Amino acid sequence: MSATPERTTSATTAPVASEPVLLSVRDLTTTFATNAGPLRAVDGVSFDLGREEVLGVVGESGSGKTVLSRTIMGLLARSRVTVSGSVRLDGVEIVGASENAMRQLWSTRVAMVFQDPMTSLNPVMRVGHQIDEVLRVRLGLSRTAARARSLELLSLVGIPSPAERYRAYPGQLSGGMRQRVVIAIALAGAPALLLADEPTTGLDVTIQAQILNLLDDLTARLHMSVVLVTHDLGVVATRTSRIMVMYAGRVVESGPTADVFADHRMPYTRALLECSPRVSNAPHTRLAAIPGRPPNLAALPAGCSFAPRCAYATERCHREVPALVETTTPGHQYACWNPLPARGGPRP
Amino acid sequence: MTTPAPAGVGPAALLSVRDLTVTFGRGAHAVSAVDAVSFDIVAGETLGLVGESGCGKSTTGRALMRIVTPTAGTVELDGVDITHQRGRALRRTRTRMQMIFQDPISSLNPRRRVRDIVAEPLDCWRQMRGPERDAFIDDLLLKVGIDPLTHGDRYPRSFSGGQCQRISIARSLAMRPQLLICDEMVSALDVSVQAQILNLLEDLKAQYGLTLLFIAHDLAVVKNVSDRVAVMYLGRLCEIGPSTTLYESPAHPYTTYLLGAALEADPTSRARPDVLEGEPPSPLNPPSGCRFRTRCPRASDRCASETPALREVAPGHRVACHFPLVRVVDDGA
Ligand SMILES: Nc1ncnc2c1ncn2[C@@H]1O[C@H](COP(=O)(O)OP(=O)(O)OP(=O)(O)O)[C@@H](O)[C@H]1O
Ligand SMILES: Nc1ncnc2c1ncn2[C@@H]1O[C@H](COP(=O)(O)OP(=O)(O)O)[C@@H](O)[C@H]1O
Ligand code: SF4
Ligand code: SF4
Ligand SMILES: [Mg+2]
Ligand SMILES: [Mg+2]
Repeated sequence: MSATPERTTSATTAPVASEPVLLSVRDLTTTFATNAGPLRAVDGVSFDLGREEVLGVVGESGSGKTVLSRTIMGLLARSRVTVSGSVRLDGVEIVGASENAMRQLWSTRVAMVFQDPMTSLNPVMRVGHQIDEVLRVRLGLSRTAARARSLELLSLVGIPSPAERYRAYPGQLSGGMRQRVVIAIALAGAPALLLADEPTTGLDVTIQAQILNLLDDLTARLHMSVVLVTHDLGVVATRTSRIMVMYAGRVVESGPTADVFADHRMPYTRALLECSPRVSNAPHTRLAAIPGRPPNLAALPAGCSFAPRCAYATERCHREVPALVETTTPGHQYACWNPLPARGGPRP
Repeated sequence: MTTPAPAGVGPAALLSVRDLTVTFGRGAHAVSAVDAVSFDIVAGETLGLVGESGCGKSTTGRALMRIVTPTAGTVELDGVDITHQRGRALRRTRTRMQMIFQDPISSLNPRRRVRDIVAEPLDCWRQMRGPERDAFIDDLLLKVGIDPLTHGDRYPRSFSGGQCQRISIARSLAMRPQLLICDEMVSALDVSVQAQILNLLEDLKAQYGLTLLFIAHDLAVVKNVSDRVAVMYLGRLCEIGPSTTLYESPAHPYTTYLLGAALEADPTSRARPDVLEGEPPSPLNPPSGCRFRTRCPRASDRCASETPALREVAPGHRVACHFPLVRVVDDGA
């Protein structure tokens, strides 16, 4: 995979539907000006997303997953934020695009599902009207057409008795139902790209399974590409074809899902997998905890950000940031000076 | 006591809960949060309590602590009925049982120093004073991994979630309790910090000989810490048994779905488990008979008319279902 940035500064190219790559992100960096100095929440992220592909983005809280999604969506406030690099959706450059240009893309080309459905829903507006609004503003539907389509969308996302729920306020719905409404809103404009930021975090496992199955089905049915952002390795394990592991704003390992799980090379990926409790563990299995905690992005250590917690760190790790390098498996990359051996025997 | 003690559990039960019932409100607004729940916790063991949001896990824990008043049933601690205790007796009991909550930051008083937060229960009971107290607190802080010299005089806001949870643990241990009730204590933590806290909990459990009621919705976390697990649905206990038995061969239809939905961080695991459709009904108006019957594929007329009692299907493995799943133990089919 070539990491040569194709720099384009304005929205010039028209969509080329025949291209296999829907989303192309190069060297994307998002920096916030904070009182503690510049905070690079996303640092040099590059990846391609194919059509109908599902990419998982995993990492602990604060690793930059949400900022990455919001940057791609063009949703960040414009003051005190600097975005550099390139995000091309269907060939159209998003970095530096005006808010007006972004509005053209929102909902019809790209849509986002947020973690907490309550924050993306208006608590004092009936949920049906919130879907209508998107359909009328973004797609120019009439009031009657919007209502009919909203009801269709509510049943598409598996909400029973849509006509009744159409009139409900968000507070009258369960967390799972609210998330379905948010998904309905995101799907209203039939986007090519869905950014799902922790869509099931905080939901019960049974409801999580329902929502993940729903997303699976809709992805296939609507020919969408999905970026599935989560801190839960269980969520990405069976639902994605590729994953990207983030730590302190950087991609530290990425590749085909099965490959990253079975043959990870970067110590943080391994540590993350090993510290997660498993249903298959015997009671009182000691977890391989990672010492310390994720770093403060406003005061990052020099070199590899994982170095203060890494059992393999050497002197070089504290000085130089390791770049992503390719493994022999196509598309599998890691960033580490002292990588774990390839397929180092069976892992528990 | 209306329900006999569960078979397979000796007299060493530290906590005995019989027909514990908590109903909030009255008449048409009565919420049946916990209904006739019975279980024992043996000294030294960890009992996990799982179930979907709203099924009554926290209310059970809070009723044991008498933060909420049980509507019916009895709770015995070490053979003493504590259900109706009041005043000094109740306060004394509360030192023997401590509860740790999910939100580590808001459960600590923001205006007090860490050292004083941890010492609060001691000071309250005037158990120790002066240098003896200070040394005891420093030792507790060290045990939970907080340096008393550099961090003892700080305020909660300067600590991360994981550190606040360590402080909560230290405070809960100050009175040397026998029973810890942990309500979603690691749910808000990052997975790397969660592992640290779970390991710490296991260490302290061994060191202090603690008995644990571990409430959580994360099935993998519960499996990792619990000797036995109890499953609740809409206020009732569905199933209780040794963790390994329960996870490997659940006998209650609900348990099967719940465990089936747990995701393993393993790409070779089953991608699309059988999904339980719909959501639990309202506790304002729970179904008659078995409360799971509105979503249960095995439900029959009997399930609507008769509440299934908790019955033993294997030693120590008890199920509340008229038609429990047949357990195939030997032939591996
Ligand atoms: N003070 C109260 N007044 C009225 N209803 C209550 C009260 N506390 C809890 N409930 C209700 O009792 C039921 C059980 O709640 P509880 O908090 O015990 O569930 P839980 O299993 O701990 O859920 P979660 O996993 O979300 O923490 C719910 O229906 C809840 O709405
Ligand atoms: N508007 C903002 N201003 C300053 N810092 C921010 C802002 N939004 C996010 N951050 C910081 O960026 C980092 C990454 O955050 P986020 O993307 O939300 O992480 P994740 O979604 O992986 O948990 C965090 O350190 C967070 O505090
Ligand atoms: S670069 Fe060094 S510190 Fe970073 S993960 Fe690799 S070995 Fe560890
Ligand atoms: S008692 Fe009936 S409804 Fe309840 S779980 Fe068993 S079979 Fe299902
Ligand atoms: Mg986030
Ligand atoms: Mg609770």
